[in-house]
Amino acid sequence: MELSDWQLVEKSQAGDADAFQELVSRYHQKVFMVILGLMRNREDALEVAQETFFRAFRKIKSFQGGSSFYTWIYRIAVNNSIDAQRKQKRNPLDFHESMDGLFEARNEVAKDPFADVQDRELRENMSKAINELTPEHKAVIVLRTIEGMSYKDIGEILGCSEGTVMSRLHYARKKLQDKLSAFL
Amino acid sequence: MSPCETIQESLGPWLDGELRGADGEAVRSHVASCADCAAARGRLEKLQLTLGTVLSTEAPQLKFAPFWREVERRIEAKRPWHEQLIEWCQSTLSAPRLAWAVPAAIMLVLGLLSFAKWPVGGQADNYASVESIDAHGRNVALLRDDKTKTTIIWLYQNPEGENENVEEAAKSGPAF
Repeated sequence: MELSDWQLVEKSQAGDADAFQELVSRYHQKVFMVILGLMRNREDALEVAQETFFRAFRKIKSFQGGSSFYTWIYRIAVNNSIDAQRKQKRNPLDFHESMDGLFEARNEVAKDPFADVQDRELRENMSKAINELTPEHKAVIVLRTIEGMSYKDIGEILGCSEGTVMSRLHYARKKLQDKLSAFL
Repeated sequence: MSPCETIQESLGPWLDGELRGADGEAVRSHVASCADCAAARGRLEKLQLTLGTVLSTEAPQLKFAPFWREVERRIEAKRPWHEQLIEWCQSTLSAPRLAWAVPAAIMLVLGLLSFAKWPVGGQADNYASVESIDAHGRNVALLRDDKTKTTIIWLYQNPEGENENVEEAAKSGPAF
């Protein structure tokens, strides 16, 4: 029978490393995606994701279950990302060949070449537009889009009210729409 | 603000499923009857779709084993003393503990201040002050007894000063 997150947390708090490893295996991909959405650089995102789980391990004894484990781990991830982003100097979405071994191969599906060019152009512009958002705006966009989180959960992770989440999302989307008006 | 502007501000929360009941219904019925707002809805949906595609396609699938090895290496690595100290301070001075620490510190300071007012080693000297109140040797003494919380104002004539002042009193006449 599969253990719940909370049962794994309790085992981790009691010093069971395998239980913590299981928690990492459940959330590492999602946490990495959220961090990449915020950091916009794979190498930095990988570093921050590993640091996030390392910090979670160190703090797991103080986690009392006031929120769900995923809210807690995302809170650590978002805070780490925002801190790291302020120091980040690398180009967005740089990719080092040496990191190939860390990622699974992605199967690209063949598409109509014209649509492919249009899509690529839109994606490139969207990527640029996301890069220009503030860390706070990026955070709400990424948590809502990747995770489909409710405003309440996003507010819990970012430490702000649902009203603030709603307002940040509105302005972030407006900025993206303004920058991509030629494509939308 | 026009009704369309108000509705377009609510489109995001409505599409996110955060507007329910009458508010959600108001947006739905307006969008159904307004071409501008329906177009705004279309643009927002396309934006969300593209955002989702961009954010999910640029993230490669991570292999778990090398990811975990690096996390494990960090866990097992010996951390420098200053990092351990910072971590200890952060866990010790966490917000709930500070909430108790602040009133406790105030109580301690108040306790120390009240203790400083007590005389060390014995009974308090209740004799507070003596002031001469006129030129005829009459003095006032203020005595306070902390136990019974009584203050005594004692008017008396200084016997030493009496002789000096008698002559002056005789010269100047009664003081009253």
